[in-house]
Amino acid sequence: MNDMQWAPTGSEPIPPPLPPMRVDFTGSRPEFRKLVTRGAMLELVTFGFYRFWLVTDIRRHLWTNTAIDGDAAEYTGRGKELLVGFLFALAILVPIYLAYFLVGIEFERWQGFASAPLFIAFYAFGQFAIFRARRYRLTRTAWRGVRFWMDGSGWAYSFRAMLWGLLVFLTLGLALPWREAALERYKMQHTHYGDLTGDFEGDGWTFFKRGWWLWLLSPIVLVIFPLAPFFYAEFKAREWRWWLDGIRIGGVSLSSRLPHDAFYGLYWKVIGWWLLLSMAFAAYLGGATMLVVTLSGVPVEEVFGPDNAAKSIPMLVMMVIGYFALALAVNIIMRVYLQRDLWAKVLENVEVHNIAAAADVRGSGELAGALGEGFADGLDVAGF
Amino acid sequence: MSELLTEVPAQSAKPAIFFDGVSSRRRQVTLTLGDALEIAEDGEAPVRWAYADIRRADSPAGVLRLASTSAPPLARLEVRDAALAADLTARCLRLDERQTTRRGVARIVGWSVAAAVSIVCVVLFGVPLAADRLAPLVPKPIERRIGDASEVQVKTIFGRSACEDPAGKAAFTKLVNRLRDAAGLDDDSMTAGVLPSSVPNAFALPGGKVFVLKGLLDKAESPDELAGILAHELGHLKHHDNMRGLIYNGGTSFLIGLLFGDVTGSSAVIFASRSVVEASYSREAETGADTFAIDVMHALGRSPKPAAELMFRITGKEGGSGLMTILASHPLTEDRLARMTKEDRPASGPPLLTDKEWRALKAICGSGKV
Repeated sequence: MNDMQWAPTGSEPIPPPLPPMRVDFTGSRPEFRKLVTRGAMLELVTFGFYRFWLVTDIRRHLWTNTAIDGDAAEYTGRGKELLVGFLFALAILVPIYLAYFLVGIEFERWQGFASAPLFIAFYAFGQFAIFRARRYRLTRTAWRGVRFWMDGSGWAYSFRAMLWGLLVFLTLGLALPWREAALERYKMQHTHYGDLTGDFEGDGWTFFKRGWWLWLLSPIVLVIFPLAPFFYAEFKAREWRWWLDGIRIGGVSLSSRLPHDAFYGLYWKVIGWWLLLSMAFAAYLGGATMLVVTLSGVPVEEVFGPDNAAKSIPMLVMMVIGYFALALAVNIIMRVYLQRDLWAKVLENVEVHNIAAAADVRGSGELAGALGEGFADGLDVAGF
Repeated sequence: MSELLTEVPAQSAKPAIFFDGVSSRRRQVTLTLGDALEIAEDGEAPVRWAYADIRRADSPAGVLRLASTSAPPLARLEVRDAALAADLTARCLRLDERQTTRRGVARIVGWSVAAAVSIVCVVLFGVPLAADRLAPLVPKPIERRIGDASEVQVKTIFGRSACEDPAGKAAFTKLVNRLRDAAGLDDDSMTAGVLPSSVPNAFALPGGKVFVLKGLLDKAESPDELAGILAHELGHLKHHDNMRGLIYNGGTSFLIGLLFGDVTGSSAVIFASRSVVEASYSREAETGADTFAIDVMHALGRSPKPAAELMFRITGKEGGSGLMTILASHPLTEDRLARMTKEDRPASGPPLLTDKEWRALKAICGSGKV
């Protein structure tokens, strides 16, 4: 019975495990809408250069309004970092594009269109960029004064992604769940929160069982087109749920109760807005034509007619203005529904188990550069 | 006395939550607002943050979240009490130094517009200048390599091998040589051939390669018609239009792509602006090649008009909408016909080919249809 004395003085009785915990998203929708509206306008005015700051502001909004166990996360990245990363990426990509061009010529000399497979090299580079961009975003994510970070190699990831991609191609997409599981495992096993290490426990088979019939029925979509959003929404919901269920960080685990029809509304709202905007755009074009015709007295055939480019300039200007307004509106809608609302919907159904394991984690890990995001931007593979 | 009185309420301890940036432990602390902010946890030495070092960090509504430039970068102090937050905000004069202000945004806009203007200037003036100056300087071997590569592509599309009927080939060579001599092209590596395709077209490739497709030959009714077209293509060679176009297109697509980045739907903008800019450039090149063809035909004592008539027969009247005029890569055929008609002169030189040679040339791909 003397054993009791040997117990270290600091040890306390093990508390009963906490019940699973919800993740709170407290972001206000009007505020986000204002943010992206202003951002989209600035993007137009700056010919797109504002995108670095807009994407940063969006992430700051989403991160700060996401609270786990009562404490909100924080995004510490800044737009300027992304701009610098983009410029560096450009400096590296330009010679690569040039080399691609020269190698392409040598291939073409040997056989027509033999250089087509060279684009595979760019795909590999894109995978590398995806990994490195994730690393940047993660190291700018802090919770309770400790940041997330990543090790592992972008090229090792890219190599895996390529091999799995080949397999998916050969099996007509059937191997997709296993590809996702393997890649996610690689990413999560190299993800850390302070001194906790992540893992991914989802397996391809589970995902396959949840979604195989979608794969089987996909030819139907090609025939009955309006079914496509349902299919895509089903697939995405199943994918998110499976992905969240598999995430582990140290002793902390996630689970998701995301219903299979969670995204139907989102996608249909986007489509509805898109139709509405297209009609508004068409009406605008019609009105603009009428206006030009009545104001200038030039008959319709001549506004679009030959050899009087000067007469069609007012029409051209109206069309350009209309196009930009449309692009702006689409931009806002996509961001509100497919980023903010999707984020909120996913978080609404997440539960965190054993958060106590993250109560006293030592901070570690270095900040990663934004070059990866720059590549992702340059190669058009950017994510959130 | 009065000093003491004001200090008393300020010094009373107020609760807050503190993360020290070293561990993720959530610390219940009490704050003392003296000449510096003192953050004290039960049984530990207090942490002092100077007011001038304190900066605001992103936080959800209703929470004031603070960082300090002299503390670990991720150390955070969270204040939920509104009165305390107001008090702290009043004391920290450099609280919002890191936030993006209106001036910061204005600076981004200003620099972006400057960058855009400079890119547009480079596209409109710099790249054409660079293309004009650089194209003649591209070493012959490189030009020839690019030409070889495009020849392989062209042959994949338009038929594996050139037409080889000996009599026809002899006539074709004679015609090409006469044009070449008149054009003053000293490029001894120049090659020309007829490809068995029913598309009525002809083109020049880098490295002195001229190809006529059989479709064009079938439509041609006299040697002069074909000669004018060939002279036009020789004009492209003489002016290095291929290399110019390559440098120009590569440069503009890169710069315009850089300019618009990924504003959603930007690919349409990129495509449209590229088409307009490049079309105007290539229309210029086509007009230049036409001028060259007119000069060559005059030097040979033949009229350039039949070539334009051949073109008109193939394309018909082109004038589409005003938009199409802006986007067209070639001058409109009717404009070219008008121009060549103006340059029409009675023949003063000998015919370029005899009737017999012309018939042989027409049959260069054999009598069978393609």
